[in-house]
Amino acid sequence: MFQRNTERSTGIELDRTSEGPQGLQLDRLFRSYRDACPDPEPGVNFMPELWAKIEARETSTNLFGQMAKALVTAALAASVILGLLMSTVNQPASNFNGTYLDALMADHASGLEPLNLDRISELEQQ
Amino acid sequence: MLVEFELLQKAQQGDAAAFNLVVGAYRRRILGTISRLIGRPEDVEDVGQEVFLRLYFSLGQLRTPEVFEPWLYRLTVNACYDYLRKSKRRPESRMSDLSDQQVMMADAAAGSKAQLDESERHRVRDTVNGMLAAVSPEDRILLTMKEVEGLSLKELEGIYGVNENALKVRLFRARQRVLKKLKGVTEPAPMSAKSDKAV
Repeated sequence: MFQRNTERSTGIELDRTSEGPQGLQLDRLFRSYRDACPDPEPGVNFMPELWAKIEARETSTNLFGQMAKALVTAALAASVILGLLMSTVNQPASNFNGTYLDALMADHASGLEPLNLDRISELEQQ
Repeated sequence: MLVEFELLQKAQQGDAAAFNLVVGAYRRRILGTISRLIGRPEDVEDVGQEVFLRLYFSLGQLRTPEVFEPWLYRLTVNACYDYLRKSKRRPESRMSDLSDQQVMMADAAAGSKAQLDESERHRVRDTVNGMLAAVSPEDRILLTMKEVEGLSLKELEGIYGVNENALKVRLFRARQRVLKKLKGVTEPAPMSAKSDKAV
């Protein structure tokens, strides 16, 4: 680990002349704070709890990975199915080669009465 | 370095015993740094576990042994920063909450370092924690790393990934902000302010 700078580089690396006595007071406070907060002794449960957290994170990461894989597979399958469906449903429309007028005529012809030649000649005689 | 690179390599390959040894070598020092960075003894172990958790999952990215310690310190700083940012919502003591007497006593205690008894230590901790709680988590962490942990600018460069001059500027500004808080408590209020209040 980094070596603690016991000489406290204050004033060597940074210019603190402008801070006055307040700066010195602050330095003394920080130094005392260091002495007042020694390195704590870790509790007996530190390592077991750490491993429990590691395992929990690993499990959730694996679960998330599996879910992501399943989701990608499902999305791929759904897009293939949809593609196939769209191509089959749209097929008749795409095979019609006539113009717009042809289409109109075809549509009207089915609704008209069939052509009767005898009836036409009768009408001419009248 | 407190551990051999071979041990780190074993830990990288998933050797749990090697990882335990790495954690065992560094945990006391890391917990000490965390306790001074966050100032909340009750949460030190939680944050420490978060640091080693992040280490476990990112150890595979380590290529050279020289960067291990700055890297571990960076993980520590980041975990403390995350903690402080989250805990900002919780009520904390502020410098303005501290009485003049508390600050004076803490300063007196600072003068006689060798004879600090537990109550004086407690006062120093409260004063510095209160003072650091009044500035941003960034200022707090940078100042603690430099002034309390005693890291050099070179070492801070390795942790923060910025050059020395930029760090000097940040440190200067952070100190100015803390000094402002300190002055606000130790200096008497201006006469005009007092007379305004009296009116």
